[in-house]
Amino acid sequence: MRTATHQFILRAAFPLLLLAPAGGLFGAAPDDAKTAPMPMQHRGPADAFFLDELWPKVAAQDCLKCHKPGGEAEDSEFILRDPKREKDDTRDAALAENRAAFVRMAAIKKDGESRLLLKASGKIKHGGKVALEPASAGYRVLAEFVRRVNAPADPKLAPAVVEKNAPPFFDGILMLDDRRLLRRATLSLAARLPTDAELSAVAAKGLKAMPAILEAVMKEDAFYNRLREGFNDIFLTLGADGNADQTFLSYDHFPQRHWYQKWEFKEIPDEGSRKKAGYKMADEYRKALHLEPLKLIEHIVREGKPFTEIITADYMMVSPYGARGYGIFDEVKAKFKNPDDPFEYIPVRLPALKGRAKQQDQESKTGFYPHAGILSTFQWLCRYPTTETNRNRLRARMYYQHFLGVDVLELAARVSDAAAVTAKYKVPTMEASECVVCHKTLDPIAGMFQDYWKFADAGVYGKRKDGWFTDMFGAGFEGEDMPAEERWRALQWLGERTAKDPRFAVAMVEHGYYILTGRKVLLPPKDLDDPLYSAKRRAYHEQRTRTEAIAKRFAETGFNFKNVIQDWVMSDFYRADGLASAEANPARKAELDDIGVVRMLAPEQVERKVTAIFGTGWGRLKHGDGGLDMLYGGIDSKEVTERATDPSGAMGAIQRILANDIACRNTALDFSRAPGERKLFPKIEPDVLPGASAEADANIRETIAHLHQQVLGRNDSPASPEVDRTFRLFAGIVSDAAERGKFSPDENYSCRQGLEHPVPDPKYTVRAWRAVLTYLLRNHEFLYE
Amino acid sequence: MNKSRRDFLKYCSLAGLGFACPGGMTSVLHADVKETPPYDGPFYLVFNASGGWDTTYLMDPKGINEMNRLYKEGDILTKGAHKFAPTEKTKSGGMSNEEFYNEFGDELLTFNGLDYSVNNHSPGARYMATGKLDSLAYPTFAALVAACNGPTCPLSFLTFGNYSATGNVVAMSRVPYLPSLQKIANADSIEGNLRSPYHDDFALSRIEQALGEQHAARAVQPHLPREERAMSMLYAAQVNSKALQRVTPFIPSTNPKGRLAQQAEIALASFKAGVCVSANLSIGQFDSHANNDTDQMKLIPEFLEGIAYVLRRAEAQKIREKLVVIVQSEMGRTPTYNKGNGKDHWSIGSAMFLGPRIKGNRVIGATDDKQFGVPLDPKSLACCKDSDKEKGIKIRPEHIHTALREHAGIAEHPLSKKFPLVIPEKERLKGFWG
Repeated sequence: MRTATHQFILRAAFPLLLLAPAGGLFGAAPDDAKTAPMPMQHRGPADAFFLDELWPKVAAQDCLKCHKPGGEAEDSEFILRDPKREKDDTRDAALAENRAAFVRMAAIKKDGESRLLLKASGKIKHGGKVALEPASAGYRVLAEFVRRVNAPADPKLAPAVVEKNAPPFFDGILMLDDRRLLRRATLSLAARLPTDAELSAVAAKGLKAMPAILEAVMKEDAFYNRLREGFNDIFLTLGADGNADQTFLSYDHFPQRHWYQKWEFKEIPDEGSRKKAGYKMADEYRKALHLEPLKLIEHIVREGKPFTEIITADYMMVSPYGARGYGIFDEVKAKFKNPDDPFEYIPVRLPALKGRAKQQDQESKTGFYPHAGILSTFQWLCRYPTTETNRNRLRARMYYQHFLGVDVLELAARVSDAAAVTAKYKVPTMEASECVVCHKTLDPIAGMFQDYWKFADAGVYGKRKDGWFTDMFGAGFEGEDMPAEERWRALQWLGERTAKDPRFAVAMVEHGYYILTGRKVLLPPKDLDDPLYSAKRRAYHEQRTRTEAIAKRFAETGFNFKNVIQDWVMSDFYRADGLASAEANPARKAELDDIGVVRMLAPEQVERKVTAIFGTGWGRLKHGDGGLDMLYGGIDSKEVTERATDPSGAMGAIQRILANDIACRNTALDFSRAPGERKLFPKIEPDVLPGASAEADANIRETIAHLHQQVLGRNDSPASPEVDRTFRLFAGIVSDAAERGKFSPDENYSCRQGLEHPVPDPKYTVRAWRAVLTYLLRNHEFLYE
Repeated sequence: MNKSRRDFLKYCSLAGLGFACPGGMTSVLHADVKETPPYDGPFYLVFNASGGWDTTYLMDPKGINEMNRLYKEGDILTKGAHKFAPTEKTKSGGMSNEEFYNEFGDELLTFNGLDYSVNNHSPGARYMATGKLDSLAYPTFAALVAACNGPTCPLSFLTFGNYSATGNVVAMSRVPYLPSLQKIANADSIEGNLRSPYHDDFALSRIEQALGEQHAARAVQPHLPREERAMSMLYAAQVNSKALQRVTPFIPSTNPKGRLAQQAEIALASFKAGVCVSANLSIGQFDSHANNDTDQMKLIPEFLEGIAYVLRRAEAQKIREKLVVIVQSEMGRTPTYNKGNGKDHWSIGSAMFLGPRIKGNRVIGATDDKQFGVPLDPKSLACCKDSDKEKGIKIRPEHIHTALREHAGIAEHPLSKKFPLVIPEKERLKGFWG
């Protein structure tokens, strides 16, 4: 039985199709020679059922793996098209073809039983063996589809009517007000609080002001720091092992890679200082090399180039130091604004690699290294190295994950007897259907990297001595073999196809979501028996629909990645902030389970937020130097590659230290400044006591409201319950101190360092304000985004 | 801490929500926030040989069909019910099998013939850690038992690697170095010095009270599920973190050298202080596609030495009798060598267990002379002969995890039920723990 939710999903997924009369739902779809026309009386019910049930629950999950061009069952009569690989204008037609294929198969019987069901359950020869256990929910869905196709017209199975009353997905969800949205965006993207001009613009124009503000924000350097950080969270290229000059630059091809070791530092008189300068130069050189792929991303976005260049760019980014290592400094130095700046980057084309021995020379028809964006960078290739037995499969896997959004090992299929399969076949990956299902897709990509065949510290470029493996599917991309003459530029050939694949745009939009929210997009639910399946499916579908819509605009606007960021920021998914009323319905709660950014700030983000609010950072959450960043859920891009999303007790302790320390550093310091220069207490002095007068209390409340705005981004009125609570905290501490009677007239020694002038604290108010600040810094609104 | 507050925390944790329980919490949250009582065990340690160990060089020796180049079938040693490969003469550092079994064989339960069903690292690691192959949402056993037994412990679930998903039921803690613990143990004191508090006690008490009141006030307001969870976990993390000061006395003055030993000291100090329930300890590089014997003879002894170190240190700290040890890997290695003298991925392997209510000196399950798993009768735990094969089943990670949940007494816990491991009743391993 169709539920309101199902119908809503259907409406959202296929809005145009539902305008058609039931009998002609797929009337416009091209019937190819293989597609038998279906009886009219079966079209309506099966259409809805197909879209809503069979396709997402069975076909997309199970059948499509093999029954597609390039798939293990590509030679069978039952071929499906993957809608995710279709562009908008052909996606509906693909689904129509798929449905027709299912209908045709459902009508065929063997010994009175549906051949489709017999195949799926492995009762007759089926390459995929038992795809659906007869007791499984998936089998039941398929059986129901077969029944509907073969049943005579039944009025009870009339075409489903769209549930007009189904509430919109975001019904009852409160959105961030424009001012807070602005703060969230500027802090997240540019590591700063909104400017007065931006606040005024939003106050005057509301949401309409945001696109222009975002456009400007995304020109700031801080945005590019954030962009690089976000993409490193995805590509993890900063985690490539070893000393960059030795790991990325091979001994065979880059004889100048250790240029810094010969740098004389003639201007430095003493030996010790020369040594230090040498260490610094080496560090900066290595850091500059590590940054190259991320600088490529920055360059593409900053210059408004199509984001497809991350996989097609026929150039790389180099710094002056890197250029020396690659041996091209003399050719390119004039292009640098400052050839001594280790972190200035320019795009260059590297000459084809020349080895110490002739056989190490890189073949190239252009004379240049065949750059293919990130894919051909030494950093990416080194971060995902290969071995004689791995055969580039790790690289193939990461290629799919990074550039097409497909994690091939995410939900690996169970093999009924993996050991027996391994033992039975000489080459299981080419012969055993259980293995072929993935390897037929994965191994051709592995083959594209065949000439990047150096291990460990030997660089990356080099051909395998014995030629590429013959017991693997040959190099290619999803059913298309790579022509032999393209081998020298294999990664470019792959990049060109990747950029055209609709999954690329979607994957980049998903990366944008990850950067903004700190988590991946939802996966479709798998457990059909889960009572909350429909709710989870709807949540997935809503998010997927938005993702695809943003991807569509992304592609239509020349793959401008800034549009992705802007579209997500403006979306309901980014702006959702609360519920209008408590939600008790488990299904609705499941639908909303992932809604709202609600992101615990990463260590780097906390540091930036502290800087934005207080003027200087904390410093203890910076990466490296034995800081607390790893304990606070940070990553090292090597072994720890996923950021913590929830606070442990250890992180709770760090939050307390941070709150104590930041309040300690800033309270008396702020009071020591001239009022006009203060960030925290511009309109109050320490001698204002709670309860002294109505004016004094009003002054304190206004200050608290200011602090709420400054630290938490809350727009609380001085009379609000939140301000009232903070007021009680302040007044209670001052009162407690007075009751105690005996306390030092000065702030804690550690908390009165670096003051512009002494700030006495005879009434304990400075310390009470420090407590207020500590309290605020431990709040959810400060520590989360 | 008063009992009602403790019960409240426990109740909230059942929902995986920390403190975010609707209604009725205001009075509890207004109560003085005091540190939680120490968690007193059992403690769980999951040792992981990351990359896939060669079980034929440890607990499932073969020495036939050219499976092992370092010993023959006749060289296989025994200790009680255990059979193991000789490594005393071939090991490269670390602890030999001979030493390990001699010291711990009487306590050790071995399971051989475990069917991982897959041949890849990521899914294998996920499957072995959670008991569920086809879901990314399931928590690892270590995370689950931490959430069920010690939701308010500040370092309830520690991890040093391996698949560590939490299913959002508990926060994961990474403590990379021993000194890190020292740095955060006294969060309300300047530079951790107890004699230099940031705030006077009355001021700190007011801060905690205000935070508690704020949390209570917000808890009765409608929130998106994510926000509700986040606020609860944040508040719990900060409140519970106070218990970390108990760790300080147990942090050793010197850092041991071994990879596992370093991880173990952090875990043991946290266990001893009652702030931790479970920990994943892991070392890698077992993926010996090239030069299998060289690698495995270096790594297995290092692994065993690490396990022995933990057990001895736990003995010294008087928590050994509360320590449940699980030793595993995400896959085994092929029965034959490849051209590079390595061994590739094999979907059959083993696991070992040791601890309270685990009867040692036992081996359950087996592989045959081609290193295929032998079907097991789950009722009798006997291996089925060819003539009796239909009685037997393949034992997979979900069978082991179901038994683990039962052993830990959390099988019926609401959080376990939220992540069911569906196996037919007739496939439950009867008397697995002895």
